[in-house]
Amino acid sequence: MTEGTLWTWTVQRFAPKSPPYVLPEDGFRPFAVGYVELDGEGVRVAAVLDVPDLDDVRIGMRLSVKASGGVPRARPVSS
Amino acid sequence: MTGVLICGAARTSFARSERTGREHAVAAINAALADAGMEWSRVGAAFGGSDAAGLADTLVADLGLTGLPFVNVKNGCATGGSALVSAVNAIRSGMADVVVAVGFDKHPRGAFDPRPEDWGLDDAYGRDGLMVTTQFFGMKIQRYLHDHGITPRTLALVAEKAYRNGSLTPEAWRRKEVSADEVLASGLVNDPLTRFMFCSPGEGAAAVVLCSSSVTTRDPVTLRSAVVRTRRAGSFEVFSPLVDAGPLTSVSRDAAAAAFEQASLGPSDVDVVQLQDTESGAEVMHLAECGFCDDGEQEKLIAAGATEIGGTLPVNTDGGCIANGEPIGASGLRQVYEIVQQLRGRAGARQVPGHPQIGFTHVYGAPGVSACTVLSR
Repeated sequence: MTEGTLWTWTVQRFAPKSPPYVLPEDGFRPFAVGYVELDGEGVRVAAVLDVPDLDDVRIGMRLSVKASGGVPRARPVSS
Repeated sequence: MTGVLICGAARTSFARSERTGREHAVAAINAALADAGMEWSRVGAAFGGSDAAGLADTLVADLGLTGLPFVNVKNGCATGGSALVSAVNAIRSGMADVVVAVGFDKHPRGAFDPRPEDWGLDDAYGRDGLMVTTQFFGMKIQRYLHDHGITPRTLALVAEKAYRNGSLTPEAWRRKEVSADEVLASGLVNDPLTRFMFCSPGEGAAAVVLCSSSVTTRDPVTLRSAVVRTRRAGSFEVFSPLVDAGPLTSVSRDAAAAAFEQASLGPSDVDVVQLQDTESGAEVMHLAECGFCDDGEQEKLIAAGATEIGGTLPVNTDGGCIANGEPIGASGLRQVYEIVQQLRGRAGARQVPGHPQIGFTHVYGAPGVSACTVLSR
């Protein structure tokens, strides 16, 4: 687990083409993606942002990033 | 690069039609030759290509089997620019004194459909919904707005201008005016970009006839420089799992600087500009990357109407990609066609007043490529 700050982000408001996109079982919901600048690593990594509310995504917010099988996932650090 | 002239230029209508990409290309080449007052048999070499509509060298079946060398170019958004650079080199090397460059395309409706494996990415990027080009544009301008105090309203004004200029351009695809309020209300695609801020994949062709200054021409424009560059380390591009921390490098900045240096001119000399406007944010950022203003200055410039046809720095006078659509292979030479018409004073309802003397074109695309030209009367 690595921490960092959100460098930039957007929200995917429409369902990407399937395939290759795999729709969640309960249907498409808009989701956030972004680049997290990792502390002390000199790099920004693309990640899916697991945030409770899309309206709360801000540049500079603190996130923890977890390598997963595929695209890294980031969630807010509870302060 | 003195001595290379554009003596003929043409484009087709980019409106959706029954035409194939090849038919667009043949029509554009024949019209460019007619504009130059030349026959196909006079052409000594040709360069061109499309991204998705076939090989340019097959066009000889329709244009005439004269035996000329016809080189295929496939260079994404820089296809037209690369064809142009090759044509210039053919003239300067003495290979031929009359050379054609052509770009054409025809894409299916809807967003482009990239595959992770073609980009060296794990399948998960597709599965998780990250193989979407528009996300990149949203994220690049999102950071730019944050750093430089640009507002979404400015992004909407760029699109409003594009549709207005498109309404003045007979060959544009989108010819209906759309207000900034309608642009803002058209629905977010990828924050902060809305639906009407984006161009769509489209169709069309553009062609130019180039010649050495020894050839007798009518109404030529001088091609002062034509440059293609690929990205350096530290740039931010579409479908990048990682981006280096620190200030970003820009291939557009590199290509524009090289084009101005070769032309012995600077951005302040330019009277009319064409910039890659895949979406509104791209036009805003490319204004700075190509040297026409400082970062953040766009907010005031655009609000003051500087980039309008009657402004101090007219940008995308034909409506750009937003109003013309994006046939990838054709866009670069569409831009050159527009500048040629502006410098000749033949741009009709969208003519920049005051007899513009110097023009500039810029394309940018995946995977970090840019092509720029400087033209003068």
